Amino acid sequence: MVTREDVENIALLSKLFVPEEELDGLTKSMQEIIDFADAINNAPASAEGFDCINNLSNVFREDEVVPSYPSEEILRNAPAQAEDHFLVRNRE
Amino acid sequence: MKYELVSGFETHIELQTKTKIFCGCTTQFGGEPNTHCCPVCIGLPGTLPVLNREVVRFAIKAGLAVHGEIASVAKMDRKNYCYPDLSKAYQISQLYAPLIIGGYVELSSGKKIRLHHIHIEEDAGKLIHRHGDTYVDYNRGGVPLIEIVSEPDIRSVDEAREYVEKLQQVMRYIGISDCRMQEGSMRCDVNVSVRPEGSETFGTRTEIKNMNSITNIVKAMEYEYDRQVDLIESGGKVVQETLRYDDVSGTTSSMRSKEDAHDYRYFRDPDLVTINIPREEVEALRAEMPELPADKCRRYIDALGIPEKDAQLLTKYRRISEFFDAAIEGVKSPKTVSNFIIGQMFRRAETESDKEQFDLPTTPQQLNALVKLLDSGKIRNNLAKATLEKMLDTGKPATDFISESDMGGVDDNALLALCKAAIEGNAKAVADFRGGKEKALKALVGNVMKNSRGKADAQAAEAKIKELLG
Ligand SMILES: [Zn+2]
Repeated sequence: MVTREDVENIALLSKLFVPEEELDGLTKSMQEIIDFADAINNAPASAEGFDCINNLSNVFREDEVVPSYPSEEILRNAPAQAEDHFLVRNRE
Repeated sequence: MKYELVSGFETHIELQTKTKIFCGCTTQFGGEPNTHCCPVCIGLPGTLPVLNREVVRFAIKAGLAVHGEIASVAKMDRKNYCYPDLSKAYQISQLYAPLIIGGYVELSSGKKIRLHHIHIEEDAGKLIHRHGDTYVDYNRGGVPLIEIVSEPDIRSVDEAREYVEKLQQVMRYIGISDCRMQEGSMRCDVNVSVRPEGSETFGTRTEIKNMNSITNIVKAMEYEYDRQVDLIESGGKVVQETLRYDDVSGTTSSMRSKEDAHDYRYFRDPDLVTINIPREEVEALRAEMPELPADKCRRYIDALGIPEKDAQLLTKYRRISEFFDAAIEGVKSPKTVSNFIIGQMFRRAETESDKEQFDLPTTPQQLNALVKLLDSGKIRNNLAKATLEKMLDTGKPATDFISESDMGGVDDNALLALCKAAIEGNAKAVADFRGGKEKALKALVGNVMKNSRGKADAQAAEAKIKELLG
């Protein structure tokens, strides 16, 4: 069973803000998602059947260099950065 | 009680592809922080990794070099763990269907260290710990690795050392990695356990992580063996844990025993499709493989008459063996070439990296020409040695240092001509010799020596004259 507390915890981990009035609706939706995943788990299927849904195999790229991104772009979404590095602050 | 050391290795080797395993960013070592990165290799949501074909080829070559079985079907899996060196919180690796199964590395004793498998995976980023914070550079993140997992077949530090050296040698030969331990392009995790000699069951093992030199591997294994034996002898129990080796104190310490318990929750990576490896592709790659060092060494011993110790020195580095192969073209004695390389040339390539490069001023063709002068009898050994030193100093060919007069007379044809001339010009000495005066022969030889300005071999001249008069 998914509880209101589960949804609050997941929102916290995902760094999402959830208004109080949406909590009940989201809890119900989350439960439905979990039930759906359970339904998939219970479906009988051979491993091969699941392996290549699109029948794709051997998708490769050639070993050719393409320009990388400037470090400012790479670091743009970093919660913290210093001296062109991602910065992970010590939580203690 | 006597205890036996039992050890297995997990060896990570960085592949020398131009680009990363799942994106087109360069794999070049170094660079300003976070400048060899793109949305794929920093794991931004919504990006799609696509496997570099060359990584698969290199891994198959590695598999062929260690006699492994190349899988027909291989898949990529996610190994989940949360640590800042992985931005996605999982590493793309292979667990359920690796590219290479089995194989072995043969030691000089003939013992085979069996391999469990070889898989491909992405390298993690580099962490710098400073003032309690962690600085992350993802330039190395996504660089392709192969991980070679051995069975616990190693029984001594000497076997461990040879195992690592043999892997390093063969992977360099086939050109898939430079295997530089100090630069991190080859790293070993070493499993160590002990058991009473004669016991069939394995003891509890510990794993020493991220060893980056053979010297440290040997020291860490010795330390860990002693520690485990002392622990058992004093009634304690070895705890299965991950250890770090500190080369300053020479001791091992626990790294993250709490995290050891955690499960990586491996599952198939849904972003990456199945890899099918047609047998024709395997055969095409097999055809591209160079002669492997063990085969080369055997050939030098059996077909060329090189002593085993010298054959090992010549084949330790690919460049040296290629130099030797080119320098022996058409010479009478490959051993002579080998002696020049190991004797005089090695003195000018002292370090491991000098030998790996083997970039001396003298070319194999120049050495070949020098040895042919020696073969034909035009010059003698002492002169050849002195000449090689001058060649190595300057990069110039032998003929720049050996004058015609140095070479005079000793050539077989020239000797014959000189002997004939001596016979024709000294009718009296010839008549005396024919009349039974052995001493008259000396006069003829003296004539040859004089006309060759002392460069001819007196014994050879005497034999030749006797032959002509006989
Ligand atoms: Zn990238």
